[in-house]
Amino acid sequence: MSALLTVDNIGISFGGLKAVQAFAVEMRAGDLRGLIGPNGAGKTTVFNLLTGVYQPNQGIISLGGRRLNGLAPHQITAAGMSRTFQNIRLFGDLSVLDNVRIACHLRTRSGLSATITRAGGQIGEERAITERAMELLAIFGLGDRVDEQARNLPYGDQRRLEIARALATFPKVLLLDEPAAGMNPQEKRALRELIRDIRRKFELTILLIEHDMGVVMDICERITVLDYGQIIAEGTPAEIQKNPAVIEAYLGTADAPGVRKE
Amino acid sequence: MLRMKARSLELSPPAWTILPRNLLALVVILAIAIMMHAWVRPAVGNYYNRVMMDVGINIVLAVSLTIVNGFTGQFSIGHAGFMTLGGYVAAATTYYGSQLLWSKAAFFGGTLSSNTAESVFSAGLLGGGDLLFVAGCVLGGCIAAGAGYVVGLPSLRLRGDYLAIVTLGFGEIIRVLLQASGPQVTRTADIAAKNPFELTTALGGALGFTRVPIYTTQFWTILFGGVTLLVAYRLKQSSMGRALLSIREDEVAAEAMGVKTTRMKVLAFVIAAFFAGMGGGLYAHQLGQINAGELGFMKSFDFVIMVVLGGMGSISGATLAAIVLTVLPELLRGVAEYRMIVYALLLIVMMLVRPQGLFGVREAWELIRPLTRRMFGSGAKA
Repeated sequence: MSALLTVDNIGISFGGLKAVQAFAVEMRAGDLRGLIGPNGAGKTTVFNLLTGVYQPNQGIISLGGRRLNGLAPHQITAAGMSRTFQNIRLFGDLSVLDNVRIACHLRTRSGLSATITRAGGQIGEERAITERAMELLAIFGLGDRVDEQARNLPYGDQRRLEIARALATFPKVLLLDEPAAGMNPQEKRALRELIRDIRRKFELTILLIEHDMGVVMDICERITVLDYGQIIAEGTPAEIQKNPAVIEAYLGTADAPGVRKE
Repeated sequence: MLRMKARSLELSPPAWTILPRNLLALVVILAIAIMMHAWVRPAVGNYYNRVMMDVGINIVLAVSLTIVNGFTGQFSIGHAGFMTLGGYVAAATTYYGSQLLWSKAAFFGGTLSSNTAESVFSAGLLGGGDLLFVAGCVLGGCIAAGAGYVVGLPSLRLRGDYLAIVTLGFGEIIRVLLQASGPQVTRTADIAAKNPFELTTALGGALGFTRVPIYTTQFWTILFGGVTLLVAYRLKQSSMGRALLSIREDEVAAEAMGVKTTRMKVLAFVIAAFFAGMGGGLYAHQLGQINAGELGFMKSFDFVIMVVLGGMGSISGATLAAIVLTVLPELLRGVAEYRMIVYALLLIVMMLVRPQGLFGVREAWELIRPLTRRMFGSGAKA
């Protein structure tokens, strides 16, 4: 089976700062991979490169054989890659239902004339969107809060709503940026189950940025470790835990300044 | 299971059927417009008739601006520019059109366009003149929409204050160009002799375009206002409208969720400009003249105030604000020279008491319906 998402040697610099260098990853359909690294390692920059927010200076990104370089973010979403945001970016003033319905817009056909005249199956289409959004929200346990403004949801619910919204675009690849951030231990446990669940139900390929090692080590099959914009390790969770380069990146070395050598 | 649904959604039925139910709204608007014109207009007298027409025109302008400023969150302060453009096009169409067709720029309409007809049903409802007038308004709307496309393009790159300055500049350019146009041709023989293209620049210059036949009545302001409201409402209740709202909320997230943000922003400008142009046509045919000098950026601010006061993106809010802000200065005529001070004070008080506008981002009916439900913090869908 060939790779679904191929990222080959991408990099980007901001001025003189090489934010990400020679990043490469290959994911087969159904993979669940973790992307970890210390703060400022360039993890979110990788997501921004993959989703077209930034254009890489070099390298190739391809999804299912289609090259994604140079495409606008909405085109990449249409091609089947969707994401959540580290600092939640919901449509705060809009209802929970509308947040998900907006993500369905991409798959609709009705143009302006059909919208104004409500002709050409527009009403049926609206109904289908609402139905689909309600189904998704029910899966995420938000079925009874559809009318609430998104900004009024508790933090954990907002994170889950972001995932629901990303799924409404019907992605093949889902990029999750710190989904467990700010969650309490119970919520984190539930999140692990949820990620496993949606992966199976929606046949997803997931790339996950996460600081919570409990979550990462538990659900990811493989892990890529970034530091200073470069990959320093790659492997199974067990391999990563023992990798000296990873330990060094996270904890520092014994001969770092300020640490006394015994 | 959900994947199956995804496919069926993409292949939504292409059949072009307009259901009678969808036309019903239009029939209702038409009926209200005719009834108001036939019975309310003669009953209330000239002054109130005039105020009601002003309200209708301001609703067209405020609600159309809501699509750009309220729905899409793009801060445009050049709305009067589109209004002026559409108004001039419509006025020139009826004036020169009447001259060419009937050798005289006078009223050739039916009773629906007459503010003086005793009984609306005594003579023909429509004449050739009102058809020319409607064609002029639609043409004015289309030209304004074209201008909206041109102004919408910079909005791809600019936001906030920078976009506001561009739209302000656009409004001023329209004003200056129209004030620099050639003198209005008034002799019928001269008009007939001229090339129609020459007439497009003979728009009266600094004196404004005058002697426009008067066609605007309650019937037309209600019809145009109703259609504007209907379009704005249907837009807001649709996937397309939600895409516009998402741009206001968070442009980066909207783009990441597959919304073609650049296209949608330009679309919002085009729709809003179209209705502003039509509103300008109503305005010109109400006064019998149109002068770009009187429709400067101060006029644009009137509409911005209506949108902000009503609540960003609230159609009912903008409508109510348009009504209140049209009627209020009339009510304050009693305090004569302090009128504008009182008006300004009321605005300040409003903004202090309700900074989010009358209805915030919601519609009037949305606020009333779930009031009890929200008290208990759960919003179960009925």
